[in-house]
Amino acid sequence: MSYSVMKTNEDNEVIYQRTDADGLVRRTCLAHDPEFQSWLSANQSSLPDDIQAKVDDGILTIADAD
Amino acid sequence: MSKAAELAALIGSQTALSNRNLVINGAMQVSQRATSATGIGGTGDTYKVLDRFRYGLNGGDATAGRFTASQAAITDLPGFGFAHKLDCTTADTSIAAGEAFTIQQRIEGQNLQQLAKGTSSAKAVTVSFYAKGTAKKYMLEIQDAENSRIIQQQFDVTTSWQRFSITFPGDTSGTVANDNAVGLYLNMWLHGGSTYSSGTYNASTWKAQSNADRAAGIDSFFSSTDNELFITGVQMELGEQATPFEHRSFADELARCQRYYFRINYNGDNNYFAAGGVYTTTAAMAMLPLPVEMRAAPTAIDQSGTAAHYGSWGNGATQVCSAVPAIRGSSSKTTCAIDLTFSSLNSATGTYNYRIVNASGYIGVSAEL
Repeated sequence: MSYSVMKTNEDNEVIYQRTDADGLVRRTCLAHDPEFQSWLSANQSSLPDDIQAKVDDGILTIADAD
Repeated sequence: MSKAAELAALIGSQTALSNRNLVINGAMQVSQRATSATGIGGTGDTYKVLDRFRYGLNGGDATAGRFTASQAAITDLPGFGFAHKLDCTTADTSIAAGEAFTIQQRIEGQNLQQLAKGTSSAKAVTVSFYAKGTAKKYMLEIQDAENSRIIQQQFDVTTSWQRFSITFPGDTSGTVANDNAVGLYLNMWLHGGSTYSSGTYNASTWKAQSNADRAAGIDSFFSSTDNELFITGVQMELGEQATPFEHRSFADELARCQRYYFRINYNGDNNYFAAGGVYTTTAAMAMLPLPVEMRAAPTAIDQSGTAAHYGSWGNGATQVCSAVPAIRGSSSKTTCAIDLTFSSLNSATGTYNYRIVNASGYIGVSAEL
């Protein structure tokens, strides 16, 4: 599974999506979702380009690991 | 111990006679997401089966080990109908340093104030649970991540049910914030690489968190595909005595779980889950009422992964979605705002009703810790 940027909605919120191994998107979340943050923390050295771009732009912050 | 002595012990330990258990779903009654899941072990596998019981697999290295988890019906432990069963399906005997596997329950700080943690009046807590499985040594840990402190005790599982009762003294260091964020983590360590196991085991002593100590001396659940583990009756309570497990009704336990996660499943052809409006002929928003005030405004929704499992009815027509439903930030503790996308609705104004149109469809709303 991996996360990517799904869209920016009408309220200018960035929505992220989790794509599972079978290619289906089963989860969408906000930046501060704990499960998404755990994934970011575990994968921060090899983030997908679109996620990394949000981090680089300061739009997405990776919280401290548990 | 006589009944009078038991009562005296309870009074002496200031243990409440009801609402003692700080653990939610300790009898493994509620399983909203699924009653079983296979192939668990990836770093994103957190809440998969039993509500409130999270798998911690986010060490610095990913394990190759995999397991099936289930809400197992049991008949060999009087008073309990379910256990949390873990069955190793892929072994991992080449353990990288940063591998970790815990079963965890995250407890809100506002529910822990009775412990008086971080004060001179800090109270002891007792954790009790029933377990059986392949004979293994594992570790029970309370972790105060906010103050980077831990306390631990090993326990030895055998092939027969045992009730473990572990009392931890009060901690006069590190207060727990009185809010809806995580206060303490109750962890069962089942596997750890050298990052978590190369240190020293100190039983039942609060100390600064040293990761090397956290799984010191334990066995690995992933050592063989023969390994399995059953756990139920998990209780964490104030005081030095393990009281009998506090059974709660299913409805009570479900409501407690729904503070953190709520799932609505397909329930027939007219399975309307929410009403809402439309922005355009392709973009709509549903407002899903939540049955219990959640811990916080939801941060995620999950669904079946197939857009056509969701649809609308309005202005005399039905239509299925062209993209999967998505969370919106404009949710609250009592209502979840959900984006729905269509190829073309028959109006860009008015009120629509939104529904799940396939038996595989569902919407899960998460405000997990």
